[in-house]
Amino acid sequence: MGTVHHRPDIAADSPRDLSRLVGLLLILPAVALIASLFVGPVITFLLRSFEGDASPFEQYTRLFGSDIYLRVLIRTLVISFLVTLTCLVLGYPVAWLLSRLRGWKLALLALFVLLPLWTSVLVRTYAWTVLLQRNGIVNSVLTGLGLTDAPLRLLYTDGAVVIAMAHVLLPFLILPLWGSLRQIPPEFRSAALVLGASEFSIFRRITAPLSAAGVGAGCLFVFLISLGFFVTPALVGGPRSMMIGTLVSQQALDALNWPFAAALSAVITAVVLMAMPFCRRLFLVTRAEG
Amino acid sequence: MKFATASSLIFSCALALAAGSAARAADPEVVISSTGGAFAKALQENFYEPFTAATKIKVVRVDTELPAQFARLQAELKTGSSAFDIITAGPADLIEKRDLLQPIDCAKLPNLAKEGIEGACTGWGIIRTLGGMVVTFNKEAFPKEKPSKWADFWDVKTFPGPRGLPDTGDREWWVPTMALLADGVPADKLFPLDLDRAYKKLDQLKPHVAVWYKSNDQAQQALRKGDVVLAMVVSGRAVGVMKEGHPIDLNWNQSIRDVGLWAVAKGTRHPEAAMKFLDFFLGGAKAHLAFANVVNYDTGNRSSLELVPEAERSRRIAYPENLKSQIVPDYKWVAENRDKLRERWNEWLLK
Repeated sequence: MGTVHHRPDIAADSPRDLSRLVGLLLILPAVALIASLFVGPVITFLLRSFEGDASPFEQYTRLFGSDIYLRVLIRTLVISFLVTLTCLVLGYPVAWLLSRLRGWKLALLALFVLLPLWTSVLVRTYAWTVLLQRNGIVNSVLTGLGLTDAPLRLLYTDGAVVIAMAHVLLPFLILPLWGSLRQIPPEFRSAALVLGASEFSIFRRITAPLSAAGVGAGCLFVFLISLGFFVTPALVGGPRSMMIGTLVSQQALDALNWPFAAALSAVITAVVLMAMPFCRRLFLVTRAEG
Repeated sequence: MKFATASSLIFSCALALAAGSAARAADPEVVISSTGGAFAKALQENFYEPFTAATKIKVVRVDTELPAQFARLQAELKTGSSAFDIITAGPADLIEKRDLLQPIDCAKLPNLAKEGIEGACTGWGIIRTLGGMVVTFNKEAFPKEKPSKWADFWDVKTFPGPRGLPDTGDREWWVPTMALLADGVPADKLFPLDLDRAYKKLDQLKPHVAVWYKSNDQAQQALRKGDVVLAMVVSGRAVGVMKEGHPIDLNWNQSIRDVGLWAVAKGTRHPEAAMKFLDFFLGGAKAHLAFANVVNYDTGNRSSLELVPEAERSRRIAYPENLKSQIVPDYKWVAENRDKLRERWNEWLLK
């Protein structure tokens, strides 16, 4: 999300031109790889959404003709938003702490943040089903402490989906946020303290605005990855916790209807593309005000 | 096109690795795809290895999930040839996905007449496993009267407790079918399914369903843990939990047929080896008995049934008394209405 307001002055002197050329050449393999193995296939796949027996818009007519697909799309957006919010609330203090720590303490905490990334999403989701089931650990503790009389229904709810997804995606928020918090010079804090600022006002006037770009990047990561999730909602969610990813996989694998799977994917891709500039503006404004 | 080429390339590489060797094209072999785990291991021990020993034809075993198998097959056929020779399919797949399959000449399978059950070869597939969706329950939850029919799912006074229903496999017709049976529709008047009536009936059941399981493992786990006390489960998995010693029992009454078949992939590179394997699979009563004991389904082999000890017969669907009330769906109707059925199911579940 880093925005460059002051462009480096590209003068016509030859060494600079040369380094630019070398730079372009160096990124060429990566660009070629992504273009040929990712962008190309994705576009080819999305174009299949215009395949149909009657008209090229057959898939889209079906999609917008029934309210299931739009309802699932809205649910997907709402769940993704809640997951992002949960990650932000849980992740900000951790990122802040990481930016303050040094040495082995930093290494240890960073390990705790990174460790889940090395475990399969499926394993982490199954762990949640063990924790949340009717006779699971959470319910045993709650009834054991006398807080509830009967086991609560925790598994197979939207709440379970949000918690389990937030757990899976937390590192994606913490890491960029940590990066931006670490760049705030510690002298700012000292200067503010000398000038008599309270901790709250330091947070409000220094830390929050200067970390806004990190918050934006982290939230965008989490939100975008959430939109495509289907394993976690399938395992810990209720029958209504259907997300657009579930429908895409149903169409691609069960129904073998690839044009319709492509149309569903195209709609979610369009939503993401429309959301991106909005997110950028939102966080740039916050930053400018700071 | 690029997508299909790339994915089939990657898949072919994976397949070569899975086979463990770059087999020369001249070597006789047959590539068989089925669901993995204990199931594939039982197939390997009882059929693949003896087949190789008898015919010198190597079996390349590919473990897949069924939907992924068809997606791969479709992708590969777009590029011309398929890596699979024999695949696993359901009865409706044989109609719905016919353009991915090759017809089977039943007359060229000598073991069919000798040992096959009636209808073991349909011309597009041969029966591999025979089971059914059955009323499964916790014996401790219902010490007096035991659930014995789908209507008992609605009788929450006599049979209180959380229910489990599938949100996997063929649920888009399994669940409406059981609802119509519960609502009193006679077995021979079920198809075409009256979906309005079925979903109206299901509306009443919905609040009592605690688990809509997404995999058979999940259903078994819910039964073991008591998360559900009454569930619709595929018979092999229900028997599996019973054998583990949990207080679970099943009732074969009104079971809804669930069949797994072998089918031949279109564009198979080893058509003769594939036919040889299918014929081999139809014979061998002892192998079928051993296989059935592991997977808890019956097979298309007639003679193996006579070898089952009397005491175990209550757990085997192929016995006439267990099979007599089985519902055999109109697969043609299911295949032709699959999109509609699936859409209706999603819509109802989201309500």
